Amino acid sequence: MAVSVAPQAPAATAKGSRRSKRGGMAIAERRAGLLFVTPYLIYFLILQLGALIFAFWVSFHHYDLLALDNPFVGLRNYVRLPANQDFLIAMRNTTEYAVVVVILQTVFALLLAVLLDSKIKGRNFFRSTWYTPSIASSVVISMIFLYVYHPTGLLNSILGLVGIHTTEAYLESTTWALPAIMFLNIWTTAPTFMLMFLAALQDIPKEIYEASAVDGASAVRKLFSITIPLLRPIIFLVVSLGIIGTFQVFDQMFIMTSGGPLKATLSVALLIYDNLFKDTGTVGVACAEAIVLGLVIFALTLISRRVIDTRIEY
Amino acid sequence: MSIGSSQALDTKINAPVAIATMPEPRQVKDTTERINALEVVVRYALYIVITLFLFTPFVMTVLSSFKTSAEVIAFPPTLLPSVWHPENYLNVLTQINGFPRMVFNSFFITFAAVALNLFFDSLVGYAFARLEFPYKNTLFAIMIATMVIPGFVFIVPRYILLLNAHLVNTYGALLVLYFLQPGYILLMTQFFKSIPRDLEEAAIVDGMGWFGIFWKIILPLARPALLATGILTFAGMWNGFFDWLIYMQDATMFNIQLGLTTFRSVYQNQWDLIMAGSVLAILPILLVYLVGQRYFVRGIATTGMK
Repeated sequence: MAVSVAPQAPAATAKGSRRSKRGGMAIAERRAGLLFVTPYLIYFLILQLGALIFAFWVSFHHYDLLALDNPFVGLRNYVRLPANQDFLIAMRNTTEYAVVVVILQTVFALLLAVLLDSKIKGRNFFRSTWYTPSIASSVVISMIFLYVYHPTGLLNSILGLVGIHTTEAYLESTTWALPAIMFLNIWTTAPTFMLMFLAALQDIPKEIYEASAVDGASAVRKLFSITIPLLRPIIFLVVSLGIIGTFQVFDQMFIMTSGGPLKATLSVALLIYDNLFKDTGTVGVACAEAIVLGLVIFALTLISRRVIDTRIEY
Repeated sequence: MSIGSSQALDTKINAPVAIATMPEPRQVKDTTERINALEVVVRYALYIVITLFLFTPFVMTVLSSFKTSAEVIAFPPTLLPSVWHPENYLNVLTQINGFPRMVFNSFFITFAAVALNLFFDSLVGYAFARLEFPYKNTLFAIMIATMVIPGFVFIVPRYILLLNAHLVNTYGALLVLYFLQPGYILLMTQFFKSIPRDLEEAAIVDGMGWFGIFWKIILPLARPALLATGILTFAGMWNGFFDWLIYMQDATMFNIQLGLTTFRSVYQNQWDLIMAGSVLAILPILLVYLVGQRYFVRGIATTGMK
């Protein structure tokens, strides 16, 4: 085994021989390190970097999964997007959906976490129960809400109990279909973020609250002048995860409404899927749409970082 | 879909806090206690309202799964089934085409992915946490940075790739995509960094190889992190829908989630089977959650992944 590769050339003394032994071990360590990390390296080179480059390549071509020849079309797939009615509708629906869901689910998750962050009895029971909507799959949640939103389903039954009698078919209404799916997503995602807020809340030194209690601060005052400012880094994280998730919403629309009625719930992700599998010769378009969507998400994440300002001040 | 993931979090706050230690005036004590009693009542009322809000749909789904199709959406509605129909569950197995096979597919991919992730996520995580090798920090930074790329960007190229590798409509497609997950590599890395080095140094002196150290000394110590990785991978794979929709074309390759969706798109009025099927689809993950809650919570809090 080669020995003298240690960073600093060792002096030829007794000390030096110990150094060179360490040099041999450093080589073994380097080899082991490279070997252990190889699975991720392969994953990165093929499934991330390779895929990303290939995505751009496909987006510059008129691409069909079955065609032998896929001609180069330059930026055409991108340039045509602003004139593509479906893309505009999908983008508007998705943005509207994302804005409402991200704001409300963050607020709701924070509220749940603040409520749970106390030494009250039964806290663990409530935490477990509240988290249930987040462990169910998107399919199960969609099935449940197909029943909830049915004209004679759970929602209208409950409304009937309080004297509002209606047989509105929420998912077949251009007015209600999108808000209905928004509601479902807030309901199912907020508990995940609740857990993240809860973990962060438990890291806030209790002395801060004790000090403010002595000053006679009210609970609401404490929430806005202590808790929320201290949670800014985690709020940023929750908002950016929310942006990434909501802008790619697919499952619920695909399962519950197929984008209808009259494209009222057509999301960009659903459009990409259709371009990829239902239409022919639009794989390049699907790629361009996905890349634009990715850039929008990236830009909005940066903006939200500016807005939330993750610095902590005292 | 498991798309979102997050950067390393450091929510620890080192606050220079001035602690006021003024003694509380005595006479105020009575009123504070009364306010606290009122607060407790208000709190519990709020807890119960929220619990009803978040949990009622599940209760009603379970109850509905024992009703007839007509009764699920009957008007006026019923709370409890007028006649209990436990045979709905048997009917799911016999009337939804290929349901047992879908259950098998779900379990097979879930367990295979859990095994692969336990090994590869911890192996790579260990290298990042403990071993010195060229470009380590660059590669680690790349791993964190690429975690925020929205998954939809990768869908078309990965699909074409797996199509050309003849992996579409095989288990191979999902195993290639999920044999490791950067979010859980990060989780493992952070955990390994918290283990003291003494044990490894003793093993190095004894002449043990790096894989031996990883396998025999480090992994047994990493139980909590392995459980978090395993449980969260289980949840993600069991609940998977989108990848199955894209990559699996024959009904014999569907999982429960895709099978249920396909069934409901054809038989929209079979509410008894849809509800019972949903309960069956949530049951395994619910059990895992109840048993491994602690690790579930820790994993989500550190990685932001579900």
